[in-house]
Order: sequence, then C-alpha cells, then structure tokens
Amino acid sequence: MTAILIGLVIGLPWLGAIVLWLTRDEDPRLQHTLAVGFSLAAGCASLALIPFSSAETAVRIPMGRFFGDLTFTADGLAVTLTAIACVVGSLAVVFSVDYMHGEEQLKRYYAFVLLFIGAMTGLLLSGNLLFMFFFWEITALCSYALISFYNDDPKAVAGGIKALIITQVGGVGLLAGALTTYAALGSYQVADLLAKAEEIPAGLLTVIAFGFLLAAAAKSAQFPFHTWLPDAMEAPTPISALIHAATMVNAGVYLLARFYPAFESVSGWAFSVMLVGLISAFITAVMALVATDLKRALAYSTVSQLGYMVYAIGAGGVLASQFHLLSHAVFKALLFLAAGSVIHSVGTRDMRRMGGLGSKMPFVRNVFIIGALALAGVPILNGFWSKELILEVGLEHSPIWAYGLMLLGAGLTAFYTFRMVWLVFFGTGRDQLHIHSAGLAMKAALGILAVGTFVTWLSFGNLNGLLSSTLPFHEIEHESLLEMMGMVISAPATWLALLVVAIGIVISWIRMRGFKFFGGGWLDPLVESSFGFDTLNRIITMGVQKLAGQLSLTQTGILSWNVVGILGAFLAVLVFLIWSA
Amino acid sequence: MNPTLFPWMIAVPLGVSPFVYLAGRLGSRKVELNGRSLFVRILALLTMLATWVLFALSWMEFTSQKSSLLFHLDAIWLSADGISFLLAAMVLSLGTFVVLFSGPYIAGEVGEEKYYAMLLAMVGIMVGLGSARDLFNLWMWFEAMAVSSYLLVAFYRERSASLEAGIKYLVQSAIGSVLVLLGVALVLGNIGTLDMDAIRSMAAATSSARLPLLLAGALFVIGFGVKVAFVPLHTWLPDAHSQAPSGISAMLSGVVIEAGLIAMLRAISTLGGFSISWGTLLLFFGALNMFFGNLLALRQTQIKRMLAYSSLSHIGYILIGIGIALFNGNPAGAQGAVFHLFNHMVMKGLAFLAVGAMMFGILDKNGIHRPLEMNDLAGAARKYPLEALTLSIALLALGGLPPLSGFMSKWQIFVAGFQGAEPWLMGLVIFAALNSVLSLAYYAPVVNIMYRRNMGEIVQRGAAIPVAMRIPLIIFALAIVIIGLIPSLMNWLTSPAAQALLVMFGK
Repeated sequence: MTAILIGLVIGLPWLGAIVLWLTRDEDPRLQHTLAVGFSLAAGCASLALIPFSSAETAVRIPMGRFFGDLTFTADGLAVTLTAIACVVGSLAVVFSVDYMHGEEQLKRYYAFVLLFIGAMTGLLLSGNLLFMFFFWEITALCSYALISFYNDDPKAVAGGIKALIITQVGGVGLLAGALTTYAALGSYQVADLLAKAEEIPAGLLTVIAFGFLLAAAAKSAQFPFHTWLPDAMEAPTPISALIHAATMVNAGVYLLARFYPAFESVSGWAFSVMLVGLISAFITAVMALVATDLKRALAYSTVSQLGYMVYAIGAGGVLASQFHLLSHAVFKALLFLAAGSVIHSVGTRDMRRMGGLGSKMPFVRNVFIIGALALAGVPILNGFWSKELILEVGLEHSPIWAYGLMLLGAGLTAFYTFRMVWLVFFGTGRDQLHIHSAGLAMKAALGILAVGTFVTWLSFGNLNGLLSSTLPFHEIEHESLLEMMGMVISAPATWLALLVVAIGIVISWIRMRGFKFFGGGWLDPLVESSFGFDTLNRIITMGVQKLAGQLSLTQTGILSWNVVGILGAFLAVLVFLIWSA
Repeated sequence: MNPTLFPWMIAVPLGVSPFVYLAGRLGSRKVELNGRSLFVRILALLTMLATWVLFALSWMEFTSQKSSLLFHLDAIWLSADGISFLLAAMVLSLGTFVVLFSGPYIAGEVGEEKYYAMLLAMVGIMVGLGSARDLFNLWMWFEAMAVSSYLLVAFYRERSASLEAGIKYLVQSAIGSVLVLLGVALVLGNIGTLDMDAIRSMAAATSSARLPLLLAGALFVIGFGVKVAFVPLHTWLPDAHSQAPSGISAMLSGVVIEAGLIAMLRAISTLGGFSISWGTLLLFFGALNMFFGNLLALRQTQIKRMLAYSSLSHIGYILIGIGIALFNGNPAGAQGAVFHLFNHMVMKGLAFLAVGAMMFGILDKNGIHRPLEMNDLAGAARKYPLEALTLSIALLALGGLPPLSGFMSKWQIFVAGFQGAEPWLMGLVIFAALNSVLSLAYYAPVVNIMYRRNMGEIVQRGAAIPVAMRIPLIIFALAIVIIGLIPSLMNWLTSPAAQALLVMFGK
C-alpha cells in the first residue's frame, strides 16, 4: 500500500505534466481542469500516505552497479513535507486558475508546476542519495523554468539563471557529499549514512557534512547565497508561493534535519549551521524593513524565517524546525497568494503606489492580516507556537548573544510584517489604481490556507508522534500538544518574545501615522546590494566574463599562431614525459 | 580462425562510395535533377542500413567468440575488440541519421554527390580505424579519415569562411599527421616492429631506448591530439565545426574527434608498460579542456561556435574519466568515459542537427548565408516546436541535468574520481562539477531565447522543415531521455569497450 501511494504522489504529477504538455494550445479550460485534477489527486494521495509512515524502506528497485538500489522511505519527516508540498501545490494550482487566466503558454506553466511537485516529493521520499540529488536538480530546473516563465522580460530571465546557477553550486556540494559517502561506505543509502556515520573517517565525514551544508544553504537561500531568492520574485506569484516559500526552499532545511544525527559530532558543523541560520535570519529581516516591492519584502521574510529553522537545527531542535516549517509553509503560502491577488488586482508590486486597498478588497485584507499575525508570531496562530519553540531551543542550546539576536529578529519581523499591512491595506490610496476583484478559485485557496493558519499547530502532537516513532536516529522525545502548550505558556521567554513582538507592531503603527516608511536612509544602499553579496555575485560573474573575454584572445584565427600552439604543447608534453619517467 | 563479417563493414561503405559519386555525376542526363539526387540519397541510405546488418552479424560473432575478431586484408592484419565495436556503433548511428538528415539540407547544392561519397567513405574508414592492429595502419586510417573530412568541411567552396576553415584544418591536421608519422618511425627504429601487441610487450622489456620512446609518446599525444582538440591544439576546431554543413559538424564533433582519441589511446597504450604516467597527463589535459572550452563557449553568440567549444569541454570530461581509469586502474572511470563518449555523440549530434534544421528553415531557405546567431532563434519554439524541444533536450543533457543521459555518464566519471578517496582527484572532480554548472550559463540562455513569446522577424519568415530532417531529431532526443532513465541499457556496448581499454593499458 505504501509503495502504491508513493508511486502515486510522484507519478501522478509527472503523468499530469506529460498529459498537459500534449494538450492543444487552444484549450485553456482543459488545461486548467487537468492541472487541478492531477494536483488535487496527488494532494489526496499525500495525505493518505501519512498513516502509512514508517522507518522501513517501502520501495526497493535495483538499478545496477553504479547507482545502487533506488529506494523510497516514507518516514515521518518525509511524509510531512510531502503532504505540505502536495497540498500547498494543489492550492497554488487552484489559485492559478484565476491568476493565470488568459495567459499564453499555460501548458508550459502547468507542466512545469506538476513536474516540480513530483520531483519535490521524490526528493523527500528518496532513500538513495543519488536519486535525492537527481530530484534535487529537477526541482532546480523547474524553479528556473518557472522564474523565467515570462521570458520576454530580461529581469525574469536573469533571475531564473541566477537561481539556477546558485542552486547548482549548492548541488555540487550535495554531489560531493553523496560521492564521498559512496567512497567511504560503498552505498548511497540514506539509512546507511545515518547508521554508519561513525565508521566514516573524520576527514571524509567533514567533507560530507559541509558539502550538505553548502547544498542546503544554496537551496534555502541562506547566507551567503541569499541573493537569488529576491530576484526569483519575477516568477508568477503562485510559483513564488509554492516553490519559493512553501516547498523547494524547504529542501535545504529538510536536508539538514534529515542528516543532523550523522553530522552532529563533526566539529564545528552544528555551530556553522546555527551561524548560517542566525546571519540569514537577521540580515534579511533588516532588508525587509525597507523593501518597497511587496513580493521582495515577502521573499526577504522567507529567507529570514528559513534562517530561524536552520538556526533551530544547529541548536539541535529538529522537531522545532520541522514544526516551524509546517507553520511557515502554510502562512507564507497564504501571504504570497494574498499578495498575488493584490498584485493581480492592481497590476503593480510597488507598495509605494498602493495604500487604502483594504476597504476595496476586504476578504484579501482579512486573510492577509491572519497570515501577517502568524508571521509576526502573535498567539494563538501557528506561527506563534512554532517560533516560540525555536526561541526556546535557542535559549537552551545556543550562546546567549545568538538568542538575543534571534529575539531582536522576532521584533523586526513583527515590524516589517505590519509595515506591509499598513502600506498595502490602510491609509489613503497614494495612486489611482484600477481594481479587479479576486476570483472564486483565488478565494477558495486563500480561505483554506487561512483556516490552516489557525489550526495546523493543533497537529503538533501528531507531528511529534510521527517524527519520534519513525526516525530511529534522531532521538526525538514524544511530547503531547498539551505538554507543549503548557511549556510555552509557562516559560518566561515566551512573554519576553511577545513583548518584543508587541513593540515591533507598535513602532510600525506609530511610523505608519507619519508615513516614514520610505527610502533615503542609510540602509537603502546596503539592502540594494543584499549587504554586499549581490555585488560579490556581480564581481564573480564579471570576473568570469572578463576572463572568458581574455581567453578568447587566444583564438587568434591566425594559422601561424595555431601552429605555435601545437609545437609549444609538444615541447611541454615532452618535458613532462621525460621528467615523470 | 573463422572468417568474420567485420571487414565487410569497412568494405561496403568504402566500396559503394565511388558508385554514389559516379551515379550522381554520370547518371542519365535525362532524369530530372531531383530524381538523380534522390537516387544518390537512397543509395547512400541503403548502404548505411546494409552496414548495420553487417554490424549486427559481426556483433553476434564477437559475443559468441568472446575475444577480439581477427582478420586480414592480404598481409595487413586487423582485429575488432570492444572499442572497435563501440566506434563502429557510434559512426553508424550518427552516419545513418546524418545521411537521412542531409537529404533536404544538401539537395540542390553543387557537389551533392561528392558529399555522400565522402560521407560513406568516412564511415568505412572510421570503422577501419577502430580495428587497426599496427601503428602504421593506424596512421593510414587516421590520415584517410582526415582527407575525407577536409573536403566535407570546405564543402561550400565558394564561401571564403568555409575555405578558410578548411585550410586551417588541413594545415593543422597535416602537422599532426607528420608528428604521428615521426613517432611511428621512432618506434619502428627502436623496437623493430609495428604490431601494437608486440610493441607493448617489447617496450616494457626495453631499457636502452627510453628517450626515443618517450619522444615517440609525446609525438603521439600531440599528433593525434590535434584531431582530438586538446587545448592548445584546438584552434582549428571552432572554425571547422561552425563552417561545415550541419550534418558534417555533427559528424566531426560526434565521432571524428572521438575516433582521434581512440587512435591516440591505441598508440600510447603500446608504450604503457614503460612506466609513463599517461593517467596524469590525460587528467591535466582534461582539466585544461574543460576550463578553456567552457569559458570560450561562454562568450559566443554564434550557436554553432558555442557548440564547438562545448565539444572541447566534453572531451575534457572524457579525458578525466580515462585519466582516472589509468591513474588508479579503476574500471568505473573507463566505463564512465566510454559511456560519455557514446552519449556525447548522441547529444552533440542532436544539438548540431537540430540547430542545422532551424538554420535550414530560418536562413538557408530564405537565401541568407551566414552563421546562425543565438538571437536569431527568438521565439523559435512556436514556429518549430519539435526542433526547439529537441535542441533544448540536447543542451540540457550536455549541461548535465538529470535524468538525461549526459548526467548519467558524468556521474559515473565523478563516482570513479571519488573512489579511492584521493584528495586531489576529488578536488578535480569537484572542479569538473563546477565546470558543469558554469556550462549552464551558456546552454540555458539558448533555451530561454527559443521559448520567448515574441518571435523574431526572421523566424516568422522561416520555411517549413522536411520530415527527413525531423526523424533523426526525434530518435536522438528519445535516446537521450531513455538512456538517461535506464543507463544500463548501453552496458552491452560500453562494458566490452571499457574492458578493452583497460586491457590495452595492461590494467
């Protein structure tokens, strides 16, 4: 049964992608229907998979000498994220029915979305490092294709290629890790790596651990690779919600959580993970303070929240990170889709031109505020519980200055979140914008996610049970929902955090009154260049381009020089051979 | 020893070649031009198919005999091992589809009959090259291959760029040939025989003539290296690959440089017992080729030139695989390299043919004779969906994206590099992987440009592309996807070849 369901969650979206690719261009209704049908079916299959989760390998297909066995394991970690990917995926597809209405090349859009969903579930369920890499790369490819979906727009194309190349650099880390594992253990199985980590020589284990950290940081847009995600916002908004908020960017966090028990003992690894999370969480929160593009602000906030998860893993809180991952996937998808309906209605992403939209689109305003409250960490929404858990873990297992920065980050989060709310929905309209109302499909998707934001934290006990019973190496203790609630409510740290959040919201409200939200500050240039890292990217790109330009001078086109090349190489080879023999 | 059918694979295409020429040249003047050209095309295609039948039959002999097939043409002995069959399979696969593809592409050009005659001759010669047993004949086949390809590169003899490319290719290849011949002479003078197996055993035992043999080794590396396009001997390649008719670009890139590599490996393997670190040398050239190839491709705007430079970098990956195999005797490296050799033929063949098809529709049919620029392809996916899709598959496979075939063979090479956990070898593999990432920076934009919605004006005026040109594209694209999904499908061909490679170097 497990095997069949795994086949369905990976196979259905891929089948859908192929079917869609084969449809005729002239029939958009059919394309919408097919996409919704296939993604909903995959969503149902993924939910049905949850009760079947176990630590056992569910599928094993021998693939010959070079590739090891292709295995799939539906353990707690994998099924939770699979369910998130498929359910949020199907909601994003439902939302797209309105959002992409009347767009050209719909089948290319839907085919890549479905291909992505299948690849993402494959990545999560795979028990073989090679195939994990395989699916990892396909998700990167889909992400690239969808960011560049509007490929007449040079910004979209540049953003897509930037995302592709940066995540590919991370992919090299995963590749190196997988290959080193193979060299050390003679196996690609995830289970073997977790079980036999102590048998691997320390030097090689370090290569694997940091290779995976590199991969995770690139995929989850963590420092120093945080530059690609804001540029990826050129994608259609449902894509930003699905790939760049709720699913693909979680793959890095998933990777770290999955292999935490194996690398825990590697010296400096856990601390590096924590540091990466901390820096990302903090600097992108600062960047979100002054962003004027609605989607970019949300993208900064995504990097920041992912930073919280990475930080939690570094501090040993795998459970807290996965809990926050679940909450974040739901409320950030909600925020992105709500932002999408705003953008779809008014036709701009610039918050400076918005304002006062709340009275004209009350439904969207309400759900956006729900999402914002969750992001800011206000009780009793899902973001509150999970963020408190992370801070709790941080207080116990990380240096106090790190905890302090994360706490400050929570205040910044509350500030920039409500800054967005005020700027978009309140105050007076700063520009005459023509408004279309949101369609039914959009409202349905938003409504479901808004309800989710209220209730997903109730599943804490189940999530905890799943993780503690099916992850033999992670040593996660079982704790019920009530115990967790009792702990959070009784901890003084919670009240401190709430105070910081409240201060953030109040400051944003005060500043809103004075409209002191825009520009001119000393932060702007720093943010513009992603704290210098965009400039670094540019220097690397320019350097490579320049080197390429100079190398092309060697292609003189003059025959005499070509012959000189041949003779020169001959002498060099001769010298080498005589020297080495 | 049983008589084998293998020599007929050499003889049939070579033998039919002059008839193709004569039929095209002298054929009844009463028949319309198109009819004559059709006859030539069909004759060439039938010859290729007949050669395939011979291939299948001699493959059965090979598997039942479980050792090299030995045969002789009078006093000249030849033998067919795993590598010979690999090369034959590659030449025939690509050759057949290039003949099919070239039908409409070359139709009506001056010298059409020469094109097919030379192409068939080249196919026969390359099968022969793979089965040479002695150094002199190896050189003979190699030289014959070069001669047949010069004329094809300079096929558009009234265009100066095409002639320039042909001349550069001619001069540089000739220098290479001379160096090889000097090397052969040195070996003969010092060892006293040309038979490669005999040299292999005698060179190991020789202690007096080290220097001349080292010199011969260097001459072989450089002489054959010109054809394989080792950096910095590669300077002829971008011109030749971009100026030749697209079918010939595919042949040059997909099999000719690989045939050169096989010839080189055969030649240097004879000096293998001589404690020469061939592995290190090949790894070095591999790294150099990847690096130069990628960076030079990055700045190209002409798509065929870009593909030509990408061939440099792919030769680099292959060299790294072979280098690893020779360095630590790891059979995985040899198998990966051989697999990549085959995959590169399919991927690069497809890329050149797909580009050629669109070039045919967009430029040639409109009477424009200039190289195809990347920007010419803007929006091409809407006018030429099949061609754009297949080209995208080829490019992404070349860039090493899973689950396409190019990824699978690169993966095997990378795995081989990590086995044994030699730190600098691991570093080299990571360098190769980063190069693979870099290559996306020039493959991905082409895909983007083709899928743009605003069609370029030049594409709008583009002509339809005939079915004969589309069939090869479909088949090669399917091969890339299927081999990617089920890589073990090619084991029957690559395993014996890898085996033979290792045996050759005594590993």
